[in-house]
Amino acid sequence: MANYHPADELLMQFAAGQLTNALGIQTACHLESCQQCQHKVRLYEQLGGDLIDISTPTEVDSGAKSRLLTNLHKLRADSAETSATSSNAATGNTATDNTFANNTGAIEDLDELYKKQLSGANQRLPRPLRRFLPDYYENLPWSGFSKSIQSYDLPFSDDQYTARFYKIAAGSELPQHTHRGNEFTLVMSGSFSDLSGDYNPGDFVLADSSTHHQPRAHEKEDCICFAVTDAPLKMTGFFGRMLNPFLK
Amino acid sequence: MTQSTQSNAQYLNQLVLQIAQNNEQAYLELFESCAGRLKAYAIKCGSSASDAEDLLQECMLTVWKKAPQFNPKSASAMTWMYTIIRNRRIDVLRKEKPNLIQSFDLWPDSDFEQTHSDQFSSSLLDDDVESDLNVNLVRILIESLPEEQRQIVYKVYFEGKSHSEISLDLGLPLGTIKSRLRLAMKKLDNLAKEQMTWLIIILLTNF
Ligand SMILES: [Zn+2]
Repeated sequence: MANYHPADELLMQFAAGQLTNALGIQTACHLESCQQCQHKVRLYEQLGGDLIDISTPTEVDSGAKSRLLTNLHKLRADSAETSATSSNAATGNTATDNTFANNTGAIEDLDELYKKQLSGANQRLPRPLRRFLPDYYENLPWSGFSKSIQSYDLPFSDDQYTARFYKIAAGSELPQHTHRGNEFTLVMSGSFSDLSGDYNPGDFVLADSSTHHQPRAHEKEDCICFAVTDAPLKMTGFFGRMLNPFLK
Repeated sequence: MTQSTQSNAQYLNQLVLQIAQNNEQAYLELFESCAGRLKAYAIKCGSSASDAEDLLQECMLTVWKKAPQFNPKSASAMTWMYTIIRNRRIDVLRKEKPNLIQSFDLWPDSDFEQTHSDQFSSSLLDDDVESDLNVNLVRILIESLPEEQRQIVYKVYFEGKSHSEISLDLGLPLGTIKSRLRLAMKKLDNLAKEQMTWLIIILLTNF
């Protein structure tokens, strides 16, 4: 489906569990619809398993095994109790609110919270984004300085990466710009083109500081992109210089 | 050697399948054969010795809970446990911060989904033929990588280092790091293509 994919290095970092940030969410969104990259990630996971397999063991605490057994028996007792109390709720297919088990650990309570967040989210959204978006694209509180481009800040930016959606109005062209760092773009809906190609939903594009580009959304519909940058945008053309102060 | 790693992999697979049947004896055997290496993984990823023990416990408990979902045709037991400890490590670090990205945001977890056909297991390339075919290929490949390439792959997996950090660590130019990693990735990529080719042959002969 997609014609542009994340670099192998990125997929490997993802499989290594080292992309627990905006780039990771973006990669996961691409993977959702790309079998080719799923296949690679599996291979890199196999690599992870093999790295453990061939590693030298560290000595484990002498009490670790009995601690594990104690934990296991507690787990088994708890789950027997939970399944007894919720067995008649099991026929419903929506998440039930009353299945909190009082005596399980903090992680299990959080799991319940996440389950609720996921089931309450808009199911048309890519799964990795569901917990982080209040609504489907068209209903997000878009903001922006012009009708042709609007943005929505995603809540998982950190001090390394800024994550945001851009909505480019159908037929509009962005001011020409370069980037101080890298900009990773995933097309979510609609399509856009620039000098180097046509990009459609699922396409994953990397622009770095040497890329001068001027994306234009296709005429038929607005284009929604998920952009992750590791440094702010820098506008270059005349129009760009005017806009630049407004971009954080 | 390939013979013995193959049978060890099958032994671990069997243990997990037995754990899925609530077999505590198998569970303890699995602990005995893997605990030291799982703890070593945690330490390589930067955990203190006592955090590594906690992570080991978390990982083993998750193994028990998820054993019924284990499918040896889609991943070996070691790969499966790798994904468990990788994910647990992320979540334990973020336990107090539910708004941060959690492992299930990145990797679908059938515990959290209504349907069982999550996208990672619905593809054609899946379960039946894929990884069983080449259980040891990746391993053979790692063992055949020159030390200088293997070291960089390790740093990506365990230390989460970026190229420039690795270059500082090893006191080597960034270009050298990139080209070594690229060589290692290239070999893996060829391996992936090879797997694909086999898969296509198998699919074609089955139809
Ligand atoms: Zn892809």
